[in-house]
Amino acid sequence: MTRYVMVADLRRCVGCQTCTAACKEGNNTPPGVQWRRVLDLESGTYPEVRRVFLPTGCQHCDHPPCLEVCPSTATRQRADGIVTIDEDLCIGCGYCLMACPYEARALTAAPAFAFGATPTAAEAARRPVGIGVASKCDFCVGRIDAGRARGLTPGRDPEATPLCVNSCISGALRFGDLDDPHGPVAALLAEHQWFRLHEDQRTGPGFYYLWDAAPP
Amino acid sequence: MTVTSTIPSYCYNCVAGPDLMRVRVEDGVAVRIEPDLSAAAIHPGLGRVCVKAFGLIQKTDNPHRVLTPMRRTNPRKGRDQDPGFVPISWDEALDTIAARLTDIRARGLLDEAGLPRLAATFGHGGTPQSYMGTFPAFLAAWGPIDYSFGSGQGVKCVHSEHLYGEFWHRGFTVTADTVHTRYLISCGNNAEVSGGVCAVRRGADARARGMKRIQIEPHLSPTAAAAAEWVPIKPKTDAAFLLALVHALLFEAPRARLDVPFLLARTASPYLVGPDGLYLRDPDTGAPLLWDETAARAVAHDTAAARPALEGSFTVPAAITRGPDGEITSWHDVPARTAFTVMADTLHPCTPDWAGAICDIPPATIRRIAADYLDHACVGETITIDGQSLPFRPVAVTLGKTVNNGWGAYECCWARTMLAVLVGALEVPGGTLGTTVRLNKPHENRLASVTPGEDGFMAAHFNATDRQDWAARPTGRNAHRSLVPIVGNSPWAQALGPTHLAWMFAEDPPAEWPDPPPPELWFAFRTNPAISFWDTARITRAMARMKFIVAFAYTMDETNHMADILLPDATDLESTQLIRIGGTKYVEQHWDHQGFALRAAAVAPRGQARDFTWIATELARRAGLLERYNAALNRGAAGAPLAGDGFDFSLPLDRAHDPDSIWNAVCQAATAGLGVPPRDLAWFREHGHCVVPFPRQDWYLTPTMARLGLRYELPYQERLLRVGQELGRRLHEHGIRWWDRQLGEYMPIPQWHDVPARWEAALSAAGADPADYPLWGITTKLMPYTTGNNAGIPLMAEVGANLRGTGAVIVNAATAARLGIVNGDWVEVRSVIGATVGRAAVVQGCRPDTIVIPGQFDHWKTPVAKDLHHASLNTITPISLDLTDATGSGADVVRVSLRRASAPAGQEAA
Repeated sequence: MTRYVMVADLRRCVGCQTCTAACKEGNNTPPGVQWRRVLDLESGTYPEVRRVFLPTGCQHCDHPPCLEVCPSTATRQRADGIVTIDEDLCIGCGYCLMACPYEARALTAAPAFAFGATPTAAEAARRPVGIGVASKCDFCVGRIDAGRARGLTPGRDPEATPLCVNSCISGALRFGDLDDPHGPVAALLAEHQWFRLHEDQRTGPGFYYLWDAAPP
Repeated sequence: MTVTSTIPSYCYNCVAGPDLMRVRVEDGVAVRIEPDLSAAAIHPGLGRVCVKAFGLIQKTDNPHRVLTPMRRTNPRKGRDQDPGFVPISWDEALDTIAARLTDIRARGLLDEAGLPRLAATFGHGGTPQSYMGTFPAFLAAWGPIDYSFGSGQGVKCVHSEHLYGEFWHRGFTVTADTVHTRYLISCGNNAEVSGGVCAVRRGADARARGMKRIQIEPHLSPTAAAAAEWVPIKPKTDAAFLLALVHALLFEAPRARLDVPFLLARTASPYLVGPDGLYLRDPDTGAPLLWDETAARAVAHDTAAARPALEGSFTVPAAITRGPDGEITSWHDVPARTAFTVMADTLHPCTPDWAGAICDIPPATIRRIAADYLDHACVGETITIDGQSLPFRPVAVTLGKTVNNGWGAYECCWARTMLAVLVGALEVPGGTLGTTVRLNKPHENRLASVTPGEDGFMAAHFNATDRQDWAARPTGRNAHRSLVPIVGNSPWAQALGPTHLAWMFAEDPPAEWPDPPPPELWFAFRTNPAISFWDTARITRAMARMKFIVAFAYTMDETNHMADILLPDATDLESTQLIRIGGTKYVEQHWDHQGFALRAAAVAPRGQARDFTWIATELARRAGLLERYNAALNRGAAGAPLAGDGFDFSLPLDRAHDPDSIWNAVCQAATAGLGVPPRDLAWFREHGHCVVPFPRQDWYLTPTMARLGLRYELPYQERLLRVGQELGRRLHEHGIRWWDRQLGEYMPIPQWHDVPARWEAALSAAGADPADYPLWGITTKLMPYTTGNNAGIPLMAEVGANLRGTGAVIVNAATAARLGIVNGDWVEVRSVIGATVGRAAVVQGCRPDTIVIPGQFDHWKTPVAKDLHHASLNTITPISLDLTDATGSGADVVRVSLRRASAPAGQEAA
């Protein structure tokens, strides 16, 4: 079996926002829509304070709450764990936005562009995403599928790997097949402490956080 | 069918670059920036670029771009004046400029005050040179140019580190050898934000293998977030903290734990100092003396068989000292101490308990950090690099902006360097390293810049302070040659001098010097001092008095609002240039390769924007400088000499060459110079970069010092003492007393002076009550914006907003509660010169006595940015001679008050 997951090494992440920018540009998401967002979190009381940067987005859950509430079957789960949205089926009801405990989905009512009402040349050159329908991170599934068709390995070969991972300057974001015992992801999880978000909701997130202390 | 290509390019928008990337182009439209992962094997950042690079697509497409040359129609200049720009043709624009240039040349390159009639200002850290094509050849062809109107130099860079770092160890910028360091003390060095891709990657790898970084700073930055420990220090007290660390190593650890062999052989620690504070010298040769324990007598420092004493007091039968202006004093039976002992005696009072009270840090914390530093120093261990056994000292100390700027910076730079010296960790694997040189040559090889100088030290190139050669009349409008000996007079020196003095003197010239007339023509490129300097209203006023401004304009902004001619240069993705990459550069660009990379034009320029190389060539041609311009190109002004051993791609001097022909020649010559077969422009357009191995041992200077038998000019600063005395004499001989505070900084061993009190004294001097400004205002950088000239890029605004405090005023939660401020409130931060308004970002990770305003904003002209309503510390920070140190630098610190404020017009309340 194949189970694609994302790993974020919180010891490495410095909150630079490069992954967010690369994702936005690569996927042509409208202003304000960030499929890969990095949270800036603080805990403690002065002077005993910790600050942590936490990359987040769709967790590609084993049991996606968004899938359960989708009335149009637009949200689907592939055998490799990737949760997708079929824009042709989505009716923009927004139930999935409410159901997602990770606030990973977005819904934009009307086209919007970086500099206002008129798209730039780059924006006009590509189809806008998530207008009137739900949108979210899909692990750059098109790159994964196209890469695999060429015999490439997602998470190892850049052309088959999500843009956020390729762009990550600190090496915090890693991607791969959890079920590949020789892959980078399995080794990372075997060798480090990790946690997942909202385990109590039993969603089975496909997004792991490496951290050498209690979850922030 | 979509035609897709990926075009090689680089991002050098900040000094932490360059980094390599590709531009994805679909049907002639640049749609996406991609890391150049084909360079992962040669680039320390594995072929990645940071967040700023992803803004280049929007920069290209920005609908607010200036796309035709423009001419000002309103002769009145000022923020309140409409420039009345009207479009003109390139011919009209270039002919207008060329006519002025020709007229200047006819009347002489210097004005009646001896100052260059032509001035130029470029933005951050020399990076504009990677986007200005062959314009450096035009500048070289011209002759003397005034570069002293800074856009933040001395204030926004790591200024004192530039000067002292290069003086002591050819370290224009100084960094940890992160790939080997195990313990790093970082005083405000915000490497995770401003260190660039390479620093971030190296830092992350180091943390993953266990490197421990202690971050000492008032505000919990992203770098502190990624550190093992955050120590919130009171602003501008870092010197006391670092001096206490030196004290702890000297007095709270056995001497044998220090690197005594290194101190004896590679430093001036054993040199003998006489009662007048000068080195005791051999009466016959003038060579500094040390105490030979074998012979029990003083001998010249280079006596081969001597066994020098590291410390102690001795009596020397006969010696001389050499004072200011060559004054020789003869001594007999003179008491002497080693330089090391003078240092120890001077720092004896600087205990951790003493510093703790100044810095608001528990003395036990200071002692623990000193002990951990020593424990990790591995004194006596070695490591093999490139087959050569080198000392291994995996401890380092780095300094950030504001720590190594302004008062206190000299002490910090010295103490940091001495912490390395005491354990032999200067310029060896794991230790504290320089990266590049800019005040010495060759720029691309700092090891080759080391030549033997006086007294067993490497050569230093100070500005003259003797009576005959001192520049009594400034040669530039910031008087760098007259006021700052250590900055020297290299091509970079003027722009590193006290650049705010040029702006200050434009409004308020010193009485003892001739009034500096403004330049007759000022070129500005990738610079916006009306935003990026301090007291921006004052800078703007001074700028409005410029006679004729030619601004290379991407969009309208606060500086080119004052321009007479706007020239739209093709932006990053629209133009072509080859630059040098690799080796060791600036921040943490330590490569195992070196070579060249091409920024190929990925798309056609929009509108009438033109490639900068075309503009430079046309200016040279129309101003009658073509032959000199081409000669400069042939000498290497475009990045590489066009002829060398076994190759000659020189350009004929008598004609104008198109940009592709020029870069084709440069590409071939550059690669031939690397010792590989020449690669032409077409080859670079396909492959992007060409590199050859760079030996890792060349990251380190100490082996070169050992090979040349040279000593680091530490710990004692006899040269600075003497130079300061000479400078004082020269200034006083000319009736100049307004630099006396700065003369006080020429101490042979730095001592604490109450640095924070200088800011309070400045308030009193301005007629204000210090109690009315109870908080420290400081700033910090944001990676999406830092030095990116990209405040008008919406993508940066969107992703930057994910970081706390972007555009806001960061305030400690307890302080906010005391003032009735809640998160998101509009607040006013007021200083003695004005106020700035932004939303409050209430946090725990900030000292209660400090507020932080990240970035540099407060735009009123730049499209998009002017609608952000971000606060800016620059608006409220005075430019002050009192707060300028001897190197001409000031710090991003201001005393402020804080209160709730009403929302700006059109903005929602909290």
